[in-house]
Amino acid sequence: MTTVDVTRKIRRSAVVAGLGLALQLAAALHWTPATFILSAAIGLPLVIAGGAMFLAAVWRNMRDKGAL
Amino acid sequence: MLPLQLIVALVCGLAIVALLFWGAKLLAGQTIGRVVLLVGVVALPLLLSVGNISYGIHQSSTTAFCLSCHEMRSYGKSLFADSRQALAAVHYQNRLVDRETVCYSCHKDYAMFGDVTAKLNGLRHVWAHYVAGVPKKIALYRPYPNSNCLHCHDDMRRFVEGAAHRPILGALYAGTTSCLSCHRSAHDMAKVEAGDLWQAQ
Repeated sequence: MTTVDVTRKIRRSAVVAGLGLALQLAAALHWTPATFILSAAIGLPLVIAGGAMFLAAVWRNMRDKGAL
Repeated sequence: MLPLQLIVALVCGLAIVALLFWGAKLLAGQTIGRVVLLVGVVALPLLLSVGNISYGIHQSSTTAFCLSCHEMRSYGKSLFADSRQALAAVHYQNRLVDRETVCYSCHKDYAMFGDVTAKLNGLRHVWAHYVAGVPKKIALYRPYPNSNCLHCHDDMRRFVEGAAHRPILGALYAGTTSCLSCHRSAHDMAKVEAGDLWQAQ
């Protein structure tokens, strides 16, 4: 995996995590039972997915470089 | 709207993630940069989300949250019913339960999974409010359990030594006789409809 690939994947993970945070921010600004559920059911999983994508990208990069 | 501190924290988290998006190329090439990315893209958003959701769960137990659905407004008014018999009014007006969480105090089941059950029931309420439609007559999912009353009244002297309670204490503890078989009025909706409300001076 090249540096360009890793950077692209890290950016992608940042976008996903950022979307999760943005959704939670929107819900916090307009706080209703429905937006709270959206925040918990979509916002939090997006943040977790972003983190997982980041860790997967770093792990693959380290594996390819024989650093594991 | 949630507290300003929480909103500021979310905005800062979002700004940090955006900064790291633009600086990813530079940071990915250095060890310290990769640690910064790990903290900024994984740890910080996760920490903020957990804080946000746990605050939201706490907020979802408040009286204001329950009454934010219009179907519950009349039940909210029943807390102010000018009644010395209706349970909701008596408990609220005499501060027998925390006014901030009055609905939750009486309508959540206690014991190990009481909170979880209450939150799952809350999801059913939200589903009914937005999707399935609210039934014409709002009713509990199951008969009101004595254990909810006994959570507070269990060994209360006035309860244990009450002349009406003493002969049936065993049945009340066993749940074979409902507290509501004598204390019939939980929410005095007739007084709400009549506008007969009490307000502290």
